[in-house]
Amino acid sequence: MKPDRRSFLGVALVGLWPKTDRPISGGFVNESDRAGHRLRGRGPFAAPPQRVRIPLVVVGAGMAGMAAAWHLDKRGFRDFVLLEMEAQPGGVSRWGENDISAYPWGAHYVPVPGPKSLLIRELLEDLGVLVNGKWDDRHLCFSPQERLFLHGRWQDGIEPNLAATARDHEQYRRFERRMQEFRATGAFTIPMERAEKEPGLLDRISMADWLRRESFDSPYLAWYVNYACRDDYGAASSATSAWAGVHYFAAREPDEKGPLTWPEGNGWIARRLAKRLGCYLRTAAMVYRIAPEGARMRVATEAVEYVADCVIFAAPTFLAPYLMESAPPVSHFEYSPWLTANLVIERPPRESGIEQAWDNVTYESPTLGYVVATHQSLGTRQDRSVWTFYWALTDGPAARNRKLLLGTDWHYWKEAILDDLARVHPEIRQCVSRIDIMRMGHAMVRPTVGFLSSEERLRVARLNGPLLFAHSDLSGFSIIEEAQYRGVTAADRALKRLGGSR
Amino acid sequence: MSAVLFLSVFLIAACGLIYELIAGTLASYLLGDSVLQFSTIIGSYLFAMGIGSWLSRFLNRGLVARFVAIELMVGMVGGFSSALLFLGFAYGHGFRFELYALVIAIGILVGLEIPLLMRILKDRFQFRDLVAHVLTFDYLGALGASLLFPLILVPKLGLVRSAMLFGIINAVVALWSTYLFAEQLARPATLRAASIAVLAALGCGMVFANQITVAAENNIYADEVIFARDTHYQRIVLTKWKDDIRLFLSSHLQFSSRDEYRYHEALVHPGLAAVPGARRVLVLGGGDGLAVREILKYPSVQSVTLVDLDPEMTRLFSTHPLLTPLNGGSLKNPRVKIVNADAFPWLEQETGSYDFAVVDFPDPTNYSLGKLYTTTFYRLLARHLTVRGLMAVQSTSPLFARKTYWCIVETLKQAGLEVHPYHAYVPAFGEWGFVMAGMAPYHPPAALPQGLRFLTIRGLPELFDFPGDMAPVTAEPNRLNDQVLVRYYDQEWSEITH
Ligand SMILES: Cc1cc2nc3c(=O)[nH]c(=O)nc-3n(C[C@H](O)[C@H](O)[C@H](O)COP(=O)(O)OP(=O)(O)OC[C@H]3O[C@@H](n4cnc5c(N)ncnc54)[C@H](O)[C@@H]3O)c2cc1C
Repeated sequence: MKPDRRSFLGVALVGLWPKTDRPISGGFVNESDRAGHRLRGRGPFAAPPQRVRIPLVVVGAGMAGMAAAWHLDKRGFRDFVLLEMEAQPGGVSRWGENDISAYPWGAHYVPVPGPKSLLIRELLEDLGVLVNGKWDDRHLCFSPQERLFLHGRWQDGIEPNLAATARDHEQYRRFERRMQEFRATGAFTIPMERAEKEPGLLDRISMADWLRRESFDSPYLAWYVNYACRDDYGAASSATSAWAGVHYFAAREPDEKGPLTWPEGNGWIARRLAKRLGCYLRTAAMVYRIAPEGARMRVATEAVEYVADCVIFAAPTFLAPYLMESAPPVSHFEYSPWLTANLVIERPPRESGIEQAWDNVTYESPTLGYVVATHQSLGTRQDRSVWTFYWALTDGPAARNRKLLLGTDWHYWKEAILDDLARVHPEIRQCVSRIDIMRMGHAMVRPTVGFLSSEERLRVARLNGPLLFAHSDLSGFSIIEEAQYRGVTAADRALKRLGGSR
Repeated sequence: MSAVLFLSVFLIAACGLIYELIAGTLASYLLGDSVLQFSTIIGSYLFAMGIGSWLSRFLNRGLVARFVAIELMVGMVGGFSSALLFLGFAYGHGFRFELYALVIAIGILVGLEIPLLMRILKDRFQFRDLVAHVLTFDYLGALGASLLFPLILVPKLGLVRSAMLFGIINAVVALWSTYLFAEQLARPATLRAASIAVLAALGCGMVFANQITVAAENNIYADEVIFARDTHYQRIVLTKWKDDIRLFLSSHLQFSSRDEYRYHEALVHPGLAAVPGARRVLVLGGGDGLAVREILKYPSVQSVTLVDLDPEMTRLFSTHPLLTPLNGGSLKNPRVKIVNADAFPWLEQETGSYDFAVVDFPDPTNYSLGKLYTTTFYRLLARHLTVRGLMAVQSTSPLFARKTYWCIVETLKQAGLEVHPYHAYVPAFGEWGFVMAGMAPYHPPAALPQGLRFLTIRGLPELFDFPGDMAPVTAEPNRLNDQVLVRYYDQEWSEITH
């Protein structure tokens, strides 16, 4: 009896010693799905009280729409508006900011463009990132860039190396050689449409199948390739076209150690473009109908109806049927659901081994890890920080994952995120004070097997009338270069058309 | 009478719990995994108490004498337990064996206490009251101890002295028991003498305890620690041995007062004396004020801006009576302005320009510090120099970390600066390297300030001469996106230290 009581006291004391968890605030942010629902449910919408004649309307101020506007403006064409349904421009390259740092909500880096990527170089030159042919060091990701948590510890770089066997090493080398061969064919370019050849046989099988066919069976290599597909395409390697999988590895020839990144990720670019294009930009202006009126197009928002000679549709292509009566078929466009979260870190969790990197990934986690928003700070000390957590829901059918994503509450995802992080940072619950989560049901298009060579995609991409499509999803995978290319190409087509019609 | 009796129960209960907590805490401090340590310690301790209680039935005669003896034994073993464990961990091999042996010994003795006491008291009280009172005070003692331990004892006294304090309490209980139950004792005088001896031993222990702890914790610094503080940024430790004061920041030696003049004269004068009439000087890092002391030897200098991250550092070197003589009170000089800020972001927003800059950062041991050694940083700093301005950069040892040193030289070169590498011998560090850099060509000074102890005009050219074993090696420049420097440094110093 006496010992019991004593041991109880002892245990109670022990119980008091581990630090208690912090209360964590937060919620879902940037919920655009309500608007999306209204669109897809076709209303109800207020009839616009005002009608405005204008030569050109650009719909959607994501990277593609802003790139179109940037290009038009540079060509001296000023008679257009850029309509964005959200209060903030940027689309998937949106950003946020708190008292610690700016941080990304989606796109967070630009791989250092090689010498042939003229278009993206032009944009980055305009923004002062590329100066006299040299990259400004402050915009290149600082050391250390990446690390991977594997076998209970962190290793340098994301390619699994700890405890790699001779077979793994041999396959890494052979894989690298194969990718060099693909690079040499000139078929894998950025933008993808510049390629000399069409995606051929490789687009008929999945990346996972291609690995098998080529007798790549190293689990490390398989994980690494799958990670690349999940990270860039939001799809597992078994659901990704081998052409796209190879493209990831074979398309780039960077001329500097990168990538380019900023605290707010590509929001840094979006922010500057939005400022520069402020005179054209109308935010909180959702387009709910686009309909022909003679040779012209009527573009309706709840405030204004624009009557335009030409429309650049830079909103996601799958929305077209909800806005237009005679939209081209787009049923093959498949999108992956994503979730991003920004975590306010009050103090860095203690850890040993190599230092925290910009991108921190866990081997065999269903998530994609986290990126540190304060990494690009010039200071030597960061007590508080913001981590951006990335999670593409790739296990199983997209529709089911989308339902899960949109049908569960904040608490569910908060706990899932913390559980995932606790594997590498057991203390994490004592370090985080806030978790804001952004859910994107249709975050990015997927280069599913056959999609790149599908007639449907090619038809929409080649449309050349008063209605031009420009979203990055036309490329089958969305990266900033593709968004920019689509926007600029549509802008050029529009200029030609408008020039001709005058 | 009964109040005093129950006070004894209260005290011995507290003592018993304290020893258990001390063993558990020490085990988790030293071995880690606190849940495992606490569970096994508590388990063994309670089990041993059970053995003690069971053993009590074999004690039949002379119960009071036995009780006093047990109290004294608990006092000795428990009181010295944490000192023994500390030393055992530092010098011995079988720490776990020692730990559990001690826990079990104390447990058995403590297990004997209460049953014996109850039997001693059984004739003075009704059984019902006895059980109720003894157990009540027993639990109260445990409660008191469990609150006292984390809130007051550990932070104020430390583990070694807490144990001894409670050993003394056990001995005091023993001593007063010899008075309380004097009529039941055959030879109270002997027991009293024994109690006094135990008290004396523990008293000595309390005095000695300080040395034990200090010795254990200071052992890496070899010398007597005169100041140690964990600031928000680092651990500042000052040691003194005879007239040699040394500063360690996060256990890296920063200077030894015996030869720091060599380091700081070499850091400042070859550059500053070469910019005649220099008026504005910038010091980055170097919160000890020693470089500033050298800079203030130039009457032309009107202002010195010292940027150091850690306010505690600059405060210490502005006010500590042992330290201000070292820097000659330089930080209190009206020409000196102290800024506590992170150097790189500070420079970003700074608009002033300087005739001379001293860059005295900690070695590039990690990627955070490595940023302060990059092309981008040096380019930014160069923009804050006047046309004929110069900077002098502490650059680790060209002898022990040759590639690291020449990497810093290369980095300054790639930042578009003219570089003039030089070195000096500083006994506490060995051969140490610096780089002078600027936009304009460097002309060695014609004169140096009065009263230098190391540098002479005649000796200057020698500083710029690198013998074969420190001669240039090729190295990549250190850049923000590719910090080769940190890797070089890591490699070269780990080769030396392992
Ligand atoms: C989590 C995540 C991370 C990513 N990371 C990277 C990265 O690191 N690097 C990279 O290069 N790419 C990344 N991407 C890809 C990213 O999609 C592209 O870089 C690029 O931002 C796509 O731009 P977009 O303009 O084509 O599309 P979106 O960003 O989708 O732009 C479409 C815009 O149209 C608006 N809109 C939609 N409907 C309407 C309507 N009816 N009326 C008005 N406006 C409307 C939307 O609000 C949006 O602003 C990432 C994507 C995701 C989801």
